[in-house]
Amino acid sequence: MSFEKDVSRIEEIAQKLSASDTSLEESLALFEEGMQLSKKLEETLSEAKHKVEIVLGDDPANVEITSFEQGQ
Amino acid sequence: MHDDNLLLQGELSVSDLTSLIKTTLEEGFYGLKVTGEISNFRPASTGHWFFTLKDSTCAITAVMFKGSAWKVNFTPKEGDQVTVTGSLDVYGARGTYQLKCSTMEKSGNGDILALLDQRKQNYAQLGYFDASHKKPLPSHPQRVGVVTSPTGAALQDILQILSRRAPSLDILVLPATVQGTSAAQTIANRIQQANLLLLCDVLIVGRGGGSLEDLLPFSEECVIEAIYESQIPVISAVGHEIDWALSDFVGDVRAPTPSAAAELVSQGILDNRLRLNSLRQTMIDSLKYRLQLLTQQVLRTRPQAMQNNMMHTLEKKEYLLVNAHQNMVQAMKDIFTLYTQRLELGKRELQALSPLAILARGYAVVTDPNGKLIHSRQETTVGENITVTFTDGSRKALIEE
Repeated sequence: MSFEKDVSRIEEIAQKLSASDTSLEESLALFEEGMQLSKKLEETLSEAKHKVEIVLGDDPANVEITSFEQGQ
Repeated sequence: MHDDNLLLQGELSVSDLTSLIKTTLEEGFYGLKVTGEISNFRPASTGHWFFTLKDSTCAITAVMFKGSAWKVNFTPKEGDQVTVTGSLDVYGARGTYQLKCSTMEKSGNGDILALLDQRKQNYAQLGYFDASHKKPLPSHPQRVGVVTSPTGAALQDILQILSRRAPSLDILVLPATVQGTSAAQTIANRIQQANLLLLCDVLIVGRGGGSLEDLLPFSEECVIEAIYESQIPVISAVGHEIDWALSDFVGDVRAPTPSAAAELVSQGILDNRLRLNSLRQTMIDSLKYRLQLLTQQVLRTRPQAMQNNMMHTLEKKEYLLVNAHQNMVQAMKDIFTLYTQRLELGKRELQALSPLAILARGYAVVTDPNGKLIHSRQETTVGENITVTFTDGSRKALIEE
């Protein structure tokens, strides 16, 4: 699932939660789904899992990439 | 005040002479523009610059005070050819004169600026800077490429800002020389390499601040062309706010500093994080509200509440009952009164018609032994017993004739 699709789903859930004709059971299930989804997305956005890499060599057609040590 | 005639008086104090020299030099030498080589450069901790300006044969002491020095966009070093503007300043206590500088630029800057301007016109005419050619930045990039010096402060700024604002974003450093004669070609090569191998989805091309010459590689033709050809959107981030290079014009976006470029590429991700937070808050608020409503509903069905409700209903019925009872009693009373009245009326009517009332007036009733009323003489015979009834009782009588 794409980020946009997931966010749309959360928006849909938020809207249903504020509608009075949604039953309590349904609301609770929706809430759980929405929270899990938003947690997952937040993790993909904020998790410090990013790689910092650097290109080695000068040959533009043959690239070698290695991890970039900060403060190097 | 000294007047010009002092000279003619023959004898002068040192102060008089110095004062004359000061007036003459300072009033006669102003609005100067002097070109020379920096020598013996001594920046003071107070921010003032002290140095000597020289050429092949002569030298002059020079000073640039803090108020002017901070506006110079480079730090002069030994041997720099500079052009300064200023005026002469006489320091009486030592009997020296010096050049007081108000502006300083590297000599030849005028030539460089003219060249850059011509190049800019040229590329503008070729349509290199057209808005229609500019590509939008990806709102949610996966990997950002940075063409800069791997050891520069600019890269550190970028890494720091990205790790704070968009910690999930991958960064690829494309190391380039950013200063000197070979710089332009390494920058252009890295931009081409990123495109050739599709190494990233957005490129930051830049460096930290420096002199006009330091920034020149970013205005070179090969860099301008590499940026123009780039399929990957390019953010030009050269120097400080006031600095510029031709890469700023051809890039898809110009960032005033490398830090600002990092903020630009991470803006979409940051926005999304904020959007997610706000959505989550909305969900929590909605559910809270919902539960509050339900709690209120549940409270209404508590035994105490139900009992109160029941009591209220009972009280109402009880009141109706008491009311009905009273109505009934009243109705009975009314009926009784009515009958009593009718009875009284009947009694009075009856009394008016009673024969006893006639007897009271002195009449008597005669009946035969069988109790039959005797109306006339013919109904009796002599010797017959009759009964005479008076108002107060009766007597037996015998008919004699």
